[in-house]
Amino acid sequence: MELICENLAQLPAIARQVRNFAGPLRVWLMEGQLGAGKTALAQAVCRDLGVTDPVSSPTFAIVNQYATAQGQPVYHLDCYRLKNEAEALDIGVEEYLYSGHYCLIEWASRIQALWPPAYLAIDIALGPGQERRLNLTRHD
Amino acid sequence: MPVILAIESSCDETSAAVIRHGQVRSNVVANQTVHVQYGGVVPELASRAHQQHIVPVVSQALAQAQTAKTELDAIAFTRGPGLLGSLLVGGSFAKALALGLAKPLIEVHHMHAHVLAHFIEEPQPQFPFICLTVSGGHTQLVLVRAPLDMTIIGQTQDDAVGEAFDKAAKILGLPYPGGPLIDQHAQTGNPEAFSFPEVQTPGLNFSFSGIKTAFLYFVQDKTRQNPDFVTEHLSDICASMQHTLVKILLGKLRRAARELKINEVAIAGGVSANRGLRQALRDLANREGWRVHVPAFQYCTDNAAMIAMAAHYKYLAGEFVGQDISPEPRLAF
Repeated sequence: MELICENLAQLPAIARQVRNFAGPLRVWLMEGQLGAGKTALAQAVCRDLGVTDPVSSPTFAIVNQYATAQGQPVYHLDCYRLKNEAEALDIGVEEYLYSGHYCLIEWASRIQALWPPAYLAIDIALGPGQERRLNLTRHD
Repeated sequence: MPVILAIESSCDETSAAVIRHGQVRSNVVANQTVHVQYGGVVPELASRAHQQHIVPVVSQALAQAQTAKTELDAIAFTRGPGLLGSLLVGGSFAKALALGLAKPLIEVHHMHAHVLAHFIEEPQPQFPFICLTVSGGHTQLVLVRAPLDMTIIGQTQDDAVGEAFDKAAKILGLPYPGGPLIDQHAQTGNPEAFSFPEVQTPGLNFSFSGIKTAFLYFVQDKTRQNPDFVTEHLSDICASMQHTLVKILLGKLRRAARELKINEVAIAGGVSANRGLRQALRDLANREGWRVHVPAFQYCTDNAAMIAMAAHYKYLAGEFVGQDISPEPRLAF
């Protein structure tokens, strides 16, 4: 499915649409170049899940953890600094991937061998101006 | 007055420090320079290297402070925030040591400790003061009423300012760590050469994600017109980007100081080493009549001396924790 987000104001509605499309899939792999809006989408999804913590980029921390309104954890990972899968395994990435909780992963292509069998792939392409095209693929 | 051993392992630095009667006697940091070749904080290396570094770093900190383990009154450690795998190494070591020596245990919040780094050396800030803490992972404005009484009054809603520096450098094709290189190139550039749109954020909060994207568009656009644009104008681009980021930081700091009518101001965190920020802060302080506090560089970046300083105040306040304490990656401020 393709979603077009014309501006930031549409992002909350887009986040809801992505959630609906994802259904029970909890591991979301987000791809897109620097500035594509991966963190912005993660923020909007977290808001939609009732997360009230500040949602910020996990590039430095590698893993940010938030809590939904119901107290469920939401993991926000960034593989930007990871060089290979072994490094991801060492930080315990499987603990997050198989937790059954939302796991929003930026730059997931760096850990391709570790992708779980079921996931939602989100490719974000920069359009003209603020426009972003989100390509969503379910892998059940 | 207590003698405390403190351990820091929240991110990529393994560090241990000894504080005696409120005076830091040693501060040993095993900086994982091995990370540089991999482009950043590499967790695999981080947690594994923490395990390799912790024993020698602690031994060295005790030796430099000429302190025997039996002299210690407490063991302190960074409980969070940070990367769980890294926090576990320092936390487990501290707990085991406290148990073995039958000494009390003190947990420290990493971001509180950055603020309390100002009390390691003279002159110390007067209360209340405002601290702008800027690093690769954090951008916070903190109102500090007392050593153990502080509140975040503004923070980033997306990227940390250090990350904005590093990602701008990445867009320019500069090697890691990019932030200091931007600072270096900016020294010879014109800060007014280019302008980037600033994202307006409510109140005292920051946002650096928009400017990163604007910067990306700017570089792409200019490179399309002239493939050598970046190399021909590197100093001016760096100076302009740095100027914009510093302006955003200091704009909010000034607003906070005016609103709260406080003229005691401090900066902390790794980005406070940035020369552009230091100079602009000095200029602004002169205009606003502020007293400004900047810790020595070794106490700006992640270090155990600041954890020891925080632990000192917690010891005096009787704030100890039991062996059932766990590291907390998202420890509340």
